[in-house]
Amino acid sequence: MATYVLRRLIQAIPILIGISVISFLIINLAPGDPTDRFRSGRVSPETIQHLIHLYGLDKPLPEQFVSWFTAFWQFPFRSDAWGYSFVDGRPVVEKIFQKIPTTLELMLTSLVVTMIVSIPLGVLAAVKQYSWADKIITTMATVGYALPSFVLGILLLYIFSIKLNLFPSFGRHTLGQENSFPDYLRHLFLPVCSLAIQQIAGWSRYMRSSMLEVLQQDYVRTARAKGLPGSRVLYKHALKNALLPVITLLGLSLPSLLAGAAITESIFSWPGLGLLAVQSVTTNDFPVVLAIVMIGGMMVLLGNLLADVLYGFVDPRIKY
Amino acid sequence: MERIDTTVAARTGATAAASGGDEDEVDLIPVRTYWMLVRQRFLQHRLAVIALFLMAFLVAIAIIVPTLTGDAYTKTSLSKAMQPPSLAMPLGTNQIGQDMFLRLMKALQTSLFIGFMAVVIIGLIGVTLGALAGFYGGWVDNVIMRFVDVILSLPVFFMILIIVAVLGKGSALVVVIAIGLTGWTLACRLVRAEFLKLREADFVQAARALGASNRRIIARHILPAALAPVVVAATLGIADSVVAEAALSFLGFGISPPEASLGNLLKNFEEDIQVRAHLLVPPSITIVLVVLAASFLGDGLRDALDPRQRVESK
Repeated sequence: MATYVLRRLIQAIPILIGISVISFLIINLAPGDPTDRFRSGRVSPETIQHLIHLYGLDKPLPEQFVSWFTAFWQFPFRSDAWGYSFVDGRPVVEKIFQKIPTTLELMLTSLVVTMIVSIPLGVLAAVKQYSWADKIITTMATVGYALPSFVLGILLLYIFSIKLNLFPSFGRHTLGQENSFPDYLRHLFLPVCSLAIQQIAGWSRYMRSSMLEVLQQDYVRTARAKGLPGSRVLYKHALKNALLPVITLLGLSLPSLLAGAAITESIFSWPGLGLLAVQSVTTNDFPVVLAIVMIGGMMVLLGNLLADVLYGFVDPRIKY
Repeated sequence: MERIDTTVAARTGATAAASGGDEDEVDLIPVRTYWMLVRQRFLQHRLAVIALFLMAFLVAIAIIVPTLTGDAYTKTSLSKAMQPPSLAMPLGTNQIGQDMFLRLMKALQTSLFIGFMAVVIIGLIGVTLGALAGFYGGWVDNVIMRFVDVILSLPVFFMILIIVAVLGKGSALVVVIAIGLTGWTLACRLVRAEFLKLREADFVQAARALGASNRRIIARHILPAALAPVVVAATLGIADSVVAEAALSFLGFGISPPEASLGNLLKNFEEDIQVRAHLLVPPSITIVLVVLAASFLGDGLRDALDPRQRVESK
């Protein structure tokens, strides 16, 4: 197991390098260079030249890449590893690590809600295939899947915040109630719903087809034939196996969760990584944007690794 | 193409024979080409037929209405600001007096155009790379597939954001490029899988024996037989591209006013939702309709073009 995890981590290195190269190249396509914001009547051309030399911007691109790349991975030890924000001059490492927990709160809560809701729904739809329950669940899933996160977010905002006034429309805390947990939960509710509903739509469809497939297997028929009670067949034999492919979904849904987080956080002003990304793109704060893409890439890679390891953990047939 | 014709005919031969009556009399079996079968299977998929009509309708009004009314959708008029829906202006006006119906039609045109263009780019990149990887295998395949792995590990939406930030906000072309450059991996993998399967097929061997060049084999022999999954993926891709464009414009990085897109009609939601929420309804419904139409159309095409891929659905 340990060797497998290690091997997967080593396999992830070239992909990480690939992500770095692509992000770095795209950032370098940006018109102008980072010294542009110093160019004004008050700064002499010599100073600019000095800055260009100081920052290594006159060096060839591959050399710039290597020095950026080596600095990037020193982030656990150096606060300047990812440079400084163009907007407020704070170290990017500090800015980003401050936002990661809030985004994780949102994403993980949504994932948990998604699993709690979609797995029973999918199982119900599969067990009662073609019944009214199945038809309603499948239709809702199709509609939910077609609702883009921003439409869903606006809809929730309108119903629950504007019309019913049940939940706050923005932020993480009410001013002056920073330590109140119920207040925090009320703020969390709408963003989580908006992020989870779309995931639930996809997951319950997936769960339904996975369960349907398992229910047709010989071992399920055998279990029924030898007289086991229906619930035991369902939960012990069928569900356990039907859950396996869902684990892969855990890893696969991370990119869409991240994208959803960016939009949801913007709608509900949830102060996380996604909102930071949107704000940084608006203000052309390239060091922050670059770091967020890298962090997002690492999250996706880690998520996939985690899903694979988990898969091996629950399915003894898989050997490393 | 030949191969699909015969296999499909062989599989459906039984039913054709049964309806023809006597199984021994081959002459009585009505000849049904691949495309006749495709049409038949597609028409059996009721939702897909509805989706086709819906899509055709959306495309038609998106082309006709803005062409007839010109740039009236940008006209502001403070005396007509914030009017409720009326016969002359079915969706009313916004706070600067723009006709929301005309804006919605223009938005539909812009969003559909960007969606289709992005899918064209996705198709071009995906089919080319997938064909090369599947046909040549070896190191070509390795390089391309590792590249695909990298793209798949990227947080796609952030990547689109970064491309738009770098190449310039507010341009339709940049939005198309950003969505196209990040979205081709599925098409690439599908085409590669088909090419891997088909490159050893008899008809390819025959073409090779006849001295056809690699380029000719790829373009004239394998590609036509490998396109079915791409057509399906492209149709489904329209939905994703329209949503991606709308999301970008919604966040303020895509199409910006006075131009209209389905996303930027919702951009002002923080204010609109308080005082004129009815303005937000038509664009939202339109986006959902486009997505639903494209996905059902894609499902129907998959069942019709490529019955082997059929997954349990109904």
